[in-house]
Amino acid sequence: MFKRLLFFSIISVVLLQACSSIEYSPNQSSDSKSPRDLNKKALARLAETPGDDTIRFVLTGDSQREYKNAEKLVDAVNKIPGVDFVFLAGDISDFGLLQEMEWVHSIFSKLKMPYIGVIGNHDLVANGEEAFIKMFGELNFSFVYQGVKFIGHNTNSRESKFNGNVPDLPWLSRQLKPQEGVDAYIPVAHVPPDGVDFDPRFVEVYTQMINRSPNTLASLYAHSHSQNVYHFHGDPIPYLVTNAIENREFLLIEIVNGQLNYKNIEY
Amino acid sequence: MNTKYLIGALFVVFLLTQPNTAKAQFPQRLVPKSALAQYAGSIGFLSAGVGYELFKNDRGSLDFMYGFVPINQGGRLHISTIKFAYRPFEIELNDWAKLYPVNPGAFISYHFGPKFDFQWDKDTYEKGYYWWSTALRPHISLGTEVKIDTRKVAPSLGIKSLSVYSEFNTNELYLVSYFQNAGALSVTDIFKLGFGVRVAF
Repeated sequence: MFKRLLFFSIISVVLLQACSSIEYSPNQSSDSKSPRDLNKKALARLAETPGDDTIRFVLTGDSQREYKNAEKLVDAVNKIPGVDFVFLAGDISDFGLLQEMEWVHSIFSKLKMPYIGVIGNHDLVANGEEAFIKMFGELNFSFVYQGVKFIGHNTNSRESKFNGNVPDLPWLSRQLKPQEGVDAYIPVAHVPPDGVDFDPRFVEVYTQMINRSPNTLASLYAHSHSQNVYHFHGDPIPYLVTNAIENREFLLIEIVNGQLNYKNIEY
Repeated sequence: MNTKYLIGALFVVFLLTQPNTAKAQFPQRLVPKSALAQYAGSIGFLSAGVGYELFKNDRGSLDFMYGFVPINQGGRLHISTIKFAYRPFEIELNDWAKLYPVNPGAFISYHFGPKFDFQWDKDTYEKGYYWWSTALRPHISLGTEVKIDTRKVAPSLGIKSLSVYSEFNTNELYLVSYFQNAGALSVTDIFKLGFGVRVAF
């Protein structure tokens, strides 16, 4: 009995060691196999997709420690026809660890369409910022798809101790200026401007800046773990907040003829 | 609370409770019984340190290690680790080599630097906003070790024994991710490997 137990233990240890990978630290920002520049690659792929008269995309967020539900999300999104791309709007990881971002990517890479990662407050924890930048790219970035400029940006003010640099308002202001080939603007971030984790001093100026762009269709967020719509300054421009992956809901957003519509999808 | 004091206090407790012979003088207890170096295993790209015997016949060890991860390997990180391992099984391979096949253990790693905090900044975060420590990481481990009696094989080296070991570990953050997502992650996803050598003198 003892010998059998010992033998079984040895076999288990050998097998486990043969299949495990090495790690220098849970806090290392990259390893030899970790993916790099995912957003850049996703946008290159998106640029090659043949467009039609509809921009259709998914807004989701908070994949943090929700691998099982993330798999379900990928299955659900893959069943919807004509989705051009997916926004994973922050809190990709829960602990700011490289390994978590790798796990999430291995699930999201099964999407039929490209996905774009936006920085969340949990992704900035520990060495997460460095890991995010290497794996996904810059915290503030923008791209134009079929005449719509999407502006991914960092609104996680609390992680910078409300030091006044997050969100980067001068950068955002430049992004929202009139631009050739751009008919409409859609900012995308993690923390919505509700004054809790978003720097309360900037809620006013930030929302005015977004509303006063040449043509903002909507501004997109996650973080709250519930689906919400905010309006600011009596404007009809919607500030849409997607539910979290743990609650198995996301927003399906469509732009047809310059009009934006959205639908909350349960899965 | 300062972690350096905590580590220091643990070290003193260990020294005071070490089951050594009464004859041994206190400073002799401070002399490590072994030196070790390790590759990977979640405590550095390379790490090195000293070890103490906890029980008779080398069945338990307590190691104090320092490790680093260079920039081109995803660092730069500086890590200190206190490591415990127990060797319940001993298999004599021949008269100069022993195998310790399954050695359960536990260790605590501490990451230095401004990105890593022992506890969260009280001015920025309400209590419980984040529940884990970014600097302090508890791990559990399983190791396998082969020990060569160098006094028999290579007496000219002047050392007692030379061991090579492999060790795999996981930490509490990987474990909670694993248990919360039945089926989505595998055991080999959360266990990470390292290799080392130990010289006893």
